[in-house]
Amino acid sequence: MKHSRLPLIITMIVLIFFYLPILVLVINSFNASRFGSTWEGWSLRWYERLWQEREIWQALENSLIIAFSATLVSIVLGSTAAFALHRYQSRLQQFHYTLIYTPLVVPEILMGISLLLFFAAAGMELGLFSIFLAHVTFCISYVALVILGRLQDFDFSIIEAAQDLGANWWTAAWKVLLPLLAPGIIAGGLLAFTLSIDDFVITFFVAGPGSTTLPIRIYSMIKHGSPPLINALSSILLVVTFVAVWLSQRLTGETQ
Amino acid sequence: MKKIISVFLTVLLAVMFSAGSSHSAAKPVLHMYTWADYIKPELVQRFEKEHSCKVVIDTFDSNEAMYAKIKAGASGYDIITPSSYMVAIMFKQGMLQKLSPALLPNLKNVDPDYLKFALDPKMDHSAPYMLTITGIACLKSKVKDFKPTWAMFERADLKGRMTMLNDMRETIGAALKFLGYSLNTTNVAELNAAKEVLIRWKKNLAKFENEQYKTGLASSEFLLVHGYSGDIMQVQKENKNIEFAIPTEGTSFSCDDLVIPKKASQAKLAHQFINFLYEPGVSAENTEFISYLCPNTASYDKLSDDLKKNPAIFFLKMQGSSKNEVIRDLGADNAKYTKIWDLVKGAE
Repeated sequence: MKHSRLPLIITMIVLIFFYLPILVLVINSFNASRFGSTWEGWSLRWYERLWQEREIWQALENSLIIAFSATLVSIVLGSTAAFALHRYQSRLQQFHYTLIYTPLVVPEILMGISLLLFFAAAGMELGLFSIFLAHVTFCISYVALVILGRLQDFDFSIIEAAQDLGANWWTAAWKVLLPLLAPGIIAGGLLAFTLSIDDFVITFFVAGPGSTTLPIRIYSMIKHGSPPLINALSSILLVVTFVAVWLSQRLTGETQ
Repeated sequence: MKKIISVFLTVLLAVMFSAGSSHSAAKPVLHMYTWADYIKPELVQRFEKEHSCKVVIDTFDSNEAMYAKIKAGASGYDIITPSSYMVAIMFKQGMLQKLSPALLPNLKNVDPDYLKFALDPKMDHSAPYMLTITGIACLKSKVKDFKPTWAMFERADLKGRMTMLNDMRETIGAALKFLGYSLNTTNVAELNAAKEVLIRWKKNLAKFENEQYKTGLASSEFLLVHGYSGDIMQVQKENKNIEFAIPTEGTSFSCDDLVIPKKASQAKLAHQFINFLYEPGVSAENTEFISYLCPNTASYDKLSDDLKKNPAIFFLKMQGSSKNEVIRDLGADNAKYTKIWDLVKGAE
């Protein structure tokens, strides 16, 4: 039977659809013109200017601090939540499930405003910490649901077998459960990280003085129209992301 | 897996550590909430040195979002730069402090030509920061006998190559000015006349457009556009063939003001900062940097000749500038504009 070329063509179209805009962005970051519509020659001026923008780097630093810490905490809380939801069936757990599910369907703006009202009522100072808390609240849901999916095909007799063979609960969890859940945890973590680093609406409301994150900074820059700087920054972030993905693949490849 | 976690933790610790070290100063901190790139960074450093304090700048992207946030209780900001209409709303709701004139001697130099139009002419709770104007820009080489008038939108030879702003108040305002009315009118007959004009102009327009017109003008897709001075000046830096003009019938201009919120913790430092921004040299440098006009008469001499000749910046002293107006918030009467705007947008 002859291989059909259709899958190849569809793959190519999908790849173009995904990556062409990114390619245009990267090319435009080297465009001397600040308007993407005309080409005025290769130039590194946007990278140069980006280098001097103290506030952009400060914003990036804030974004990274929040994304890393929110991811870490929501992985821990999200996995335990998923585990509890899967193991125990009760009315309380149904309520728990609803609680986990709600942030996915509540409009962001509602969540942002209500968190802000809550923080203000509690007399909490707004800043990196309040953003961190807000991000954890919505990241938990995503992490928990991804891991819950993974748990659904999980065969718990493996844990019982381990315990039969003399492992105590902790050893079984650490040596058997965790490695098997790892892909789910990593996927949930990556999702949480992505959501956290590009969240604008919720962050805008709960950000306090001195805690402007990158998305807030970028939106504000649009008023004076500095998109080329943003192209340059995005290109750098892209490279960093690719390197990170490549590194993590290398690392996981090694341990398996 | 363990390796990943350890790498992850190391990065996290490193990032947190570097963050912790950068915030260690017992100096007073002034928190400014403003638009991005809305002050010359060197000036901030100068102020920090002169008053041995630290200035932290945070940014917002729209008046409405900023308002919603402050209204909901966000505090910690000492100085904010909303547009005038938003200042009026915030003041009415008791969100702003009154300014102390004793701490602001430099405000004596605020241009009286601006204060005539200001929503807060006595500078009771706000000081003007930066002015911008709306006008028309064209590609000189492709538009024959360009005249600075709204009547340009009648020109059938430019059909399909012109844009007007997709902004209810700006665009209805342009038609009202064309007819010789105030752009803050609430008179229904005048508004209806403006509607007829706009429907006529619309036949010549490519579209109502707020963002792409800059790119379109730079690439000669559009020949004549209705746009904001700041935007047009960016395009002019690349395409020398573009001319910006202020229609002789008058147009709208707007002002972002400096205000101190009720809950500010550094009100005194905020006053010093406003006063600092009105030092003649500082205003001039800021005007050059932002390409908007800081209405400080004492600073005008220090501006470069290029800026003084530029109608996009130095419009207060241009001929016929008394016909320009600031767009006011009309409260319940806004609905009249919405109705007209819907009819214009829906017209064939």
